Amino acid sequence: MDRNKTVIEVIDGGPLKISGSICIVEKQGGKPEDKREVYLCRCGKSASKPYCDGSHNS
Amino acid sequence: MGDNRKITEKRNRSYRGREITVYWKPSACIHASSCYRELIEVFNPSRRPWVDMEGAPEERIIETVNLCPTEALTWKWNEEERNSDVDRAHTNHIKWRRPELYSQSGEDEDASSLTVRVLDEGPVMVEGSFSLICGGKSTIMKNTITSFCRCGQSKSQPYCDGEHRNIRFPEGETP
Ligand code: FES
Ligand code: FES
Repeated sequence: MDRNKTVIEVIDGGPLKISGSICIVEKQGGKPEDKREVYLCRCGKSASKPYCDGSHNS
Repeated sequence: MGDNRKITEKRNRSYRGREITVYWKPSACIHASSCYRELIEVFNPSRRPWVDMEGAPEERIIETVNLCPTEALTWKWNEEERNSDVDRAHTNHIKWRRPELYSQSGEDEDASSLTVRVLDEGPVMVEGSFSLICGGKSTIMKNTITSFCRCGQSKSQPYCDGEHRNIRFPEGETP
């Protein structure tokens, strides 16, 4: 019951990886979606926010 | 289940309208201000009581309560049967956000999933239980609400420290 299958990993110099059982609302007022894994941009540079598009390397 | 009521819950309020009831849990409010920015006719912090269920059609009240990023505002139908088929689009329906108040048939599966909300021009807010891996360390976080920086400017990475307000948030910028 107390198993935390959901993991948030702060990738150094990269995105926030969230995996497990997730319900994500991508935009305020948007529709919640169930997902298993997401990589969210932490650097502010991605062109496909909220997701990481690899721009953090540039 | 059957858990103890905390003292802070004494400040909780409910506001009954014709078809729905709105629940207010001040201890959970993080002042995202979405309620009164969206519907000041109903949610007016400078009025007492601050919620006026007559102020707007109830569909609008539901929409607005669903925008609340925490469980500070939740709602349910007064007619119990209607609550059973409320779907996930209604994020702030009491059954998803405050299962302890909605004891009908607690679906634990939903309670255990992590809610991730991306705030416009702001952080990403996560709510629930998870393991956090950061700098090679793993920590168990239980029933937590926390926000991670998305703008890259916070001084207390990986968390948001409010710094995004002082910059032009790099939202939707395409190369
Ligand atoms: S973290 Fe990868 S693009 Fe921002
Ligand atoms: S998103 Fe708040 S400081 Fe970066």
